[in-house]
Amino acid sequence: MYLKLAWRNIWRNKRRTLITVSSVMFAVVFALFLESLERGAHNVMIDNMTQFHTGYIQVQDYRFEDEPSLDNAFYYDDELSDQVIGLESVEYTIPRIETFMLAAGAEATRGAFVMGVEVDREDRLNNLKERLTEGRFFEPNDGTAVVTEGLANRLNLAVGDSLVLLGQGRFGMTASGLYEISGLLRHPTREMNNQLVYLSLPDAQWLLSADDHITALLVTPNRVRDTESIARQLRSELENEELAVFTWRELIPELVEALEFDQAQSRLMMGILYVVIGFGIFGTILTMTLERMREFGILLSVGMQRIKLALVVFIETFFITIMGVLAGFVLGIIPILYFYFNPIELGGEMEEVVAEFGVEPIMPTAIAPDIFLWQGLMVFILTTIICLYPTIKILTLKILEASKT
Amino acid sequence: MAIITTHNLSKVYNPDTIPVHALRDVSLEFEEGEFTTVRGPSGSGKTTLLNMIGGLDIPTEGFVEIDGTRITGMKDRELINFRLNNIGFVFQAYNLIPVFTAYENVSFIMLLQKREKSEMKERAEELLTAMGLSKKFDSRPKQLSGGEQQRVAVARALASRPKFILADEPTANLDTDSAMNLLDMMEKMNKEENVTFIFSTHDQRVIDRARRVITMVDGAIFKDERK
Repeated sequence: MYLKLAWRNIWRNKRRTLITVSSVMFAVVFALFLESLERGAHNVMIDNMTQFHTGYIQVQDYRFEDEPSLDNAFYYDDELSDQVIGLESVEYTIPRIETFMLAAGAEATRGAFVMGVEVDREDRLNNLKERLTEGRFFEPNDGTAVVTEGLANRLNLAVGDSLVLLGQGRFGMTASGLYEISGLLRHPTREMNNQLVYLSLPDAQWLLSADDHITALLVTPNRVRDTESIARQLRSELENEELAVFTWRELIPELVEALEFDQAQSRLMMGILYVVIGFGIFGTILTMTLERMREFGILLSVGMQRIKLALVVFIETFFITIMGVLAGFVLGIIPILYFYFNPIELGGEMEEVVAEFGVEPIMPTAIAPDIFLWQGLMVFILTTIICLYPTIKILTLKILEASKT
Repeated sequence: MAIITTHNLSKVYNPDTIPVHALRDVSLEFEEGEFTTVRGPSGSGKTTLLNMIGGLDIPTEGFVEIDGTRITGMKDRELINFRLNNIGFVFQAYNLIPVFTAYENVSFIMLLQKREKSEMKERAEELLTAMGLSKKFDSRPKQLSGGEQQRVAVARALASRPKFILADEPTANLDTDSAMNLLDMMEKMNKEENVTFIFSTHDQRVIDRARRVITMVDGAIFKDERK
């Protein structure tokens, strides 16, 4: 009956209740969209970085972090691979050898980032094969290379042309090779699209005089949330191997800081938004409380305990906010779904800024239950704080004075 | 044995500025089954006396005992509970819960007492029927006339099976027919179920029906007559 009382009370002034519910609803839609868009943009950044650069976990020679040189590549064989794969929650590993070299065509020379990879394994992490726009991927030791479109344009090269790679191999060995371009690939980030050359792992190892050596072993967890625990296990497993283990957060702390700063900004904005919502709800509750002081006095006179009366008012506030929140969820999911499947494509200056970070210039929304849960929790906390006013009013109410109002 | 005893009740409002003596040394006893009216001009202390007896106001001096229990000085929570189980209130402005039907208004008091659902239903139906409202169970206060609302208020007051009912100017807002009808109902409850009623009123119609009339002047008992 308390629920019935609370429910009917909120409809005593339908227009006021509907206005309050609507204000909560629109605020929730706005907050959800904002949070979802921010999360989506962050996910793009993290995905770009983990899929094309660092992986979720990376095993390196322990000297590589301070001196990222081929001299600090490490020995990689099936035994090491099996040792890592054998850990619980590890899905697969990806060996890579990476270095900077000069790339030259018939007419031009440019700096290039050369990456020796096993295509099938890379593809599991970043769908590399789907990014191929022309030609085909190489087979191991077939002497061909895949070049990113931007670099190919700069060198004025196409599929079937020859590419010269020139640089330094392991321990100062001269590294030079001539490769036929078997395919062109469009890398999602502009920076990498302008400088990347893919070779098969054995080809790259031979070119760089680094037989059986790699510069990084990427470890992919079954679930992203297990990243930290797998890294801990790997550290203890490989502690005698002169190998170091890093998570993506440790490898790109500047990105983590940028994301945290961005998050702090949106939290601040969200805080301001909730203060605005809070005042809206408070206005309604204040009016509802003050215009019912006499009724409260009567209910206390006839024997209703103050705490029960406060509970009824709390339920009323909760009903109003929960209706707003649920309506907000229903309405909010529409733009979130739309922009999830049709991400906003950044242009102009924003595209430049994002490209500088090496990130795809798109902003999709993210669909994550915790975004909704957090909004619900925030509004519940807000409601509880707002309810302090009628609760205090009821607990300190003088029955006779209230009955005379 | 008296069910209500007031011992030298005094009430002074604004004692530090302009003192107003609302009650002056009022000592009274009310027996079970009484049908009593407290009369007097405005400001004579009728409502203040009823508020003291109902535990809604605190005396400056003296105390109130109900059925041997001293309610003056009780903690707020205890007092609310005591009122719920021992005292029924009927107010001049009816004061029903506007969003509840007549039936729910009567049941609500029993819900506060944590009575069984079946008992609540039976008692609410019985009381509303006794008040001539058998066809108005599902009507909300605004769908009822003033007289009907006041009868619901009486049914609500009786629902908790109180030791007595305090009715403050219950007929003040009613036309003659409604007032007489209401008084008939209350008199019937008094006679048939021995419910004790104490009214504060100016209304001669109520005074005429009462078996005991207490007249107050300037916060003191001027006359206490039994018919």
